[in-house]
Amino acid sequence: MHRLATTLQAPFHWLGQTAMSWSFNAGGLALLTFQVLRNLLPWRWQFDGPETWRNLYRVGVKSFPIVVVTAVLVGAIMVIQSGLYIEQYGAYGLLGWGAGYSILREVGPILIGLMFSGRVGANNTAELGTMKVTDQVDALRALAIDPIGYLVMPRFIAMILMMFLLVVIGNFTALIGGAITSQVLLDVNMVLFFQSVIAYVLLDDLLHGLIKAVAFGFAIAIISCHFGLSTSGGAVGVGRAVNASVVGSAIAIFVLDYAITFASL
Amino acid sequence: MSASPDIPGRPTGREPSNFREFLSALGEPILYLTRTFRELIEMFGLTLYYMARGRTRWRAIFEQLHEVGNRSVIFVAVTLGFLGMILIYQAGYQAEQITGDLQLLGGLFLQLLLREFAPTITAMMIATRVATGMAAQIGSMVVTEQVDALQMCAAPPVDYLVVPRFIATTIMMIVLTIFAVLVSYSAGALTALFSFGLNVRTFIDLSFIGWFDLILCLSKALAYGMAVPIIACHAGLNVSGGSEGVGRATTNAVVNASLAVVILDFIITSLGYVALSLLPS
Repeated sequence: MHRLATTLQAPFHWLGQTAMSWSFNAGGLALLTFQVLRNLLPWRWQFDGPETWRNLYRVGVKSFPIVVVTAVLVGAIMVIQSGLYIEQYGAYGLLGWGAGYSILREVGPILIGLMFSGRVGANNTAELGTMKVTDQVDALRALAIDPIGYLVMPRFIAMILMMFLLVVIGNFTALIGGAITSQVLLDVNMVLFFQSVIAYVLLDDLLHGLIKAVAFGFAIAIISCHFGLSTSGGAVGVGRAVNASVVGSAIAIFVLDYAITFASL
Repeated sequence: MSASPDIPGRPTGREPSNFREFLSALGEPILYLTRTFRELIEMFGLTLYYMARGRTRWRAIFEQLHEVGNRSVIFVAVTLGFLGMILIYQAGYQAEQITGDLQLLGGLFLQLLLREFAPTITAMMIATRVATGMAAQIGSMVVTEQVDALQMCAAPPVDYLVVPRFIATTIMMIVLTIFAVLVSYSAGALTALFSFGLNVRTFIDLSFIGWFDLILCLSKALAYGMAVPIIACHAGLNVSGGSEGVGRATTNAVVNASLAVVILDFIITSLGYVALSLLPS
């Protein structure tokens, strides 16, 4: 009898637990966004300078190789994929447009964003989570150092700035990767490829991708800091927090991408 | 690559020179990469060996199938659904501007989805959700010395921990890729209907896809499904240094798994292109 009652309760228990954790995370994210934006106000401008420089280095320079490798391969793949259609119709002059348009607008920001969330976001959550479970965040509070100004703000600024710069570099290297592929694999002259990019790819496409990059950087920063700072439960908890952080970032990337695409066309 | 842990400089016994430092900065990532690659190959071989020789643990495999498959369904549906909506929105807008002809939209979208986006983005999603989970779980088992305990009980960790995850992820990657195609295509069809007024019957157009696209899609899914669990379990089993090590391992797992997906994508796509140009059409 007792067992039956427990079995019947299980779905409700699960539902309630899920609802609680969703509202906890939604509230936490909103609160953190509010606190970060408040710290950005000119008369409350407050963040740790040296810590910001350190984060800019760690976030940007250390993600550089992986972003370059991803971007070159993505450019190559896009050229091969659009090359199949281009060959069908013999429109070689459009190859640069096809690859450039899709890289600059969609594929570049999404894939670099996913890589960035895996490399930087996960790392950030793991770091903050470890600090949280070893009570270092409480120690900061005890020393009257604001965790938002000291831990979150430098990461927030570094992630947004570096996501923007990495997408700029990524777009550029992706186009180079695409040009090399078109020369080697498709026998389309590199010069023709770049001429087509310059002729048909507009400033709009580039700006569209860069707006996305800033939005993704914002989302990854807030989500990874929130899940890091709300970690509990030792080493297992850190792993769970990292998992939740990358899952949340991936969903945020796709939802934001849809919203920006929808709003700008 | 960037996943390399910060290796402290070795004591050399001599005064370090600039040239020596330059060489070590150049060589350490290369050594790290080759070592990791060799270990991954070794683990892949061991996994296949235990799969062929050992007994099958159905219970563990079903647990992993549930963990990898069922619990990723919503996540994959949300992300791939949005991807379908985004791609159709962009492509439809361009087609409307340039030719005003939306007849080909559905057919070409299905082809591109099968060849590229469905397997690759699904694998990236599995790499973020499942690979971090696996690395964290196995990593905390290593930190709390449960893996050593397993080894004491004559249960090799690769046989006991890696094989069920490998089998489950390989199966589920293929299943989820097919699911992703369906979700993404339906989301695209709805977007085409509501944004451009394109009839769903016109949108569903199977005339562009052939055996080639299906084989490319499934072989990509198979390759990713085998690579992701090996990389995640390798990262988990090589954890050292307590709770910080677990965090580093999860980061390594997601970065290396995503990178492996992109590299495999490039290799298989180029092979497919070469095969297609050799085939008589």
